[in-house]
Formats: sequence, structure tokens, C-alpha cells
Amino acid sequence: MTSPLAAGARPPCAGTLREGVVASLALVPSVFVYGTVFGGLAVQAGLTVAQVLGMSLLVFAGASQFVAVPMLVGGAPAVAIVVTTYVVNMRHYLMAATLAPSFRGFRRVWLALIAHLINDESFAVVVARSRPPDPWIYLGSALAICGAFVVGVAVGVALGGLVSEPERYGLDFAFPAVFLALVAVQLRHRADWLVAIGAAVVAVALALMLPGNWHIVVTGLVVSVVAARLLPVDEADRQEEPTA
Amino acid sequence: MRSDVWLVIVGMAAATYLTRAPMFLALARRPLPPRVRLWLRLVPLAVLPALAMPLVLVRDGHLALGWTNPALWGAAVVFVLAARRVNLLASVAAAVAVVALLRAVA
Repeated sequence: MTSPLAAGARPPCAGTLREGVVASLALVPSVFVYGTVFGGLAVQAGLTVAQVLGMSLLVFAGASQFVAVPMLVGGAPAVAIVVTTYVVNMRHYLMAATLAPSFRGFRRVWLALIAHLINDESFAVVVARSRPPDPWIYLGSALAICGAFVVGVAVGVALGGLVSEPERYGLDFAFPAVFLALVAVQLRHRADWLVAIGAAVVAVALALMLPGNWHIVVTGLVVSVVAARLLPVDEADRQEEPTA
Repeated sequence: MRSDVWLVIVGMAAATYLTRAPMFLALARRPLPPRVRLWLRLVPLAVLPALAMPLVLVRDGHLALGWTNPALWGAAVVFVLAARRVNLLASVAAAVAVVALLRAVA
């Protein structure tokens, strides 16, 4: 394998890749479990093992994958699912823009690969450890998190095949439950509550009127745009917890 | 299961890569404007309730706000537990158990 670095670029500081892995170990169990829950529920919902693993490797963005499964089952149009995925994952722009300057000197092919590994947990790890973010700590963390997620999904797929009649055990409710848990940990300030409650009300109203699950994208964009216009900008840089 | 699952997965993969790669490959030196950062931070806060609450409150195209809707109780349980920083799996499992129980007695 060729070096990811272009000629003349700064080599990694000793041990930073390993530091990234070690710093992420505290998050590995929860990412593993998150993957397991997804793998199990997705198989239960009727996706094949190959589809569940393929989605996890190709998309590698937990929240949007959780979003897609009930939409697939519920017969939402393909375009609605893809657009919803895009909106759910738009937060990556923020992380990519913050990380990018640290990766000057990396070959473009490697940048294209590393970009695929951008995830909330590794971003939180690297930003907490180094300013500007150290690319090697980030890379080590991304490998640990990605590994934990994919292995978790594989285990979940194996376990998920064991349960029959998921509705009887309330397992279909696990999808909204995951979304609500992800919201609950992000609500810190009054503005967060206003946005979340506003989105809930608008989404329920639209869901009663619009076909094909379009209420998700419409609500997500309209409520976030309105809130971003109205709220003071100093809300922009508050520390946030990883979402998915 | 429908026949276009792989098509949807490839579309999701492309859409997601489009959120990761452009800013990263551009190696932008300047950070995004504050109001854009604020907006991007708020998107998940708006999208997640928009996903969850219709699944909880809308049944067969009608609003199900009554006490007899098991999902409403499940939602309350998972929300309170997660807000108290109980871990994700335990919060979700408790909510699922409550929903299963209420469905069984209904």
C-alpha cells in the first residue's frame, strides 16, 4: 500500500493513530450495541442479511439507516427515502468542514476514502483531544468506530433472525424509540426544546396531510431554516454530543 | 419486501457521500459562516422528532392521542430515560417492553 501522504507532507507524530483508537475505546461498546440493534431490527423488518450489511458498509451512518428501514417497510417512494437520508446526514458538512484543513498533504485518493468514515463519535473524540484536529487521531478513531459498528451490525443480523413475530414483542416501536432517545440527549437549552417540539407538531400535522413520508424532509428543512434565521448565532458553536 | 431495496441503498450511499466528501476534498481553510453552522446543527434536532412523533401519534391516517395508545406510553418512557442519560439500549428496551405489555393487555 502506498503512503496516504503526498511528497513533502508532515508524517504522523509517533503513536497518534493508536491514540485515536485508544481514545475511542470508551465509545466502542455503545457503537457496537447501536449496530447490533440496527442489524437485528433491520433483519426483523424483512431486509436480507446482504442488504443490511451492504447498507451499513456503503452508507455507514447509523441514524439515517434507522430512518430508512421503517420507510422501506412502509412503502415510501425510493426518492423520499434517499432525500430523507440526505437531510438526516447534512450534519456531516459541518464535521467535514472542520476536519478538512487538518488533512492538507494527504493524497486525494485517501481523502476520498477517509471522507466516507466521517462519523459523529470520531469527530467528538478528535475535537475533544486536539485543536486543530489531529488527522491521525481522527483516523485511528474512525477505524475503531467503523469496526465496532460493522461488527455490531453483523452480530445483530445473526441475533435478529432468531426472533419471530417482532410486533408481538413491540420491536417495531424500537425505531421511534431510538429517534426519541437521540433527541432527548441533545436537548440542553430552551432553543433546543423549541426546535424539537415545533418539529414534532409540524411533522404530525403534515403526516396527516402528505403522502409518502415527505413530512420528514419538509419538517426537518423548514423548522431548522426558520429556527436558524430567528435564533442568535452564538448558538452555533455550542459543544454537542454525538448523535449517531 | 419490495424489489428496489438495493437501488434505495445505493441512492442512500450516494446521498450520504455527498454530505461527507465535498467539504472534505475541498480542504477549505475558512470555516462555514456561523449562521450556516447553526442551521446544520439544528437539522438533526428538527428531523428526529419529525421522524418519531408521527410514528407514535398517527395510526392509519388518524391522530391517536388517547391514553390507550401504547406508543404514547413507550415514547414517554424512552424520552425520560434517555434524558436521564440511561444508555440507549436500556432506554429503548424499556420502551419496547412497555409497548409490548400494553398491547398484550389491550
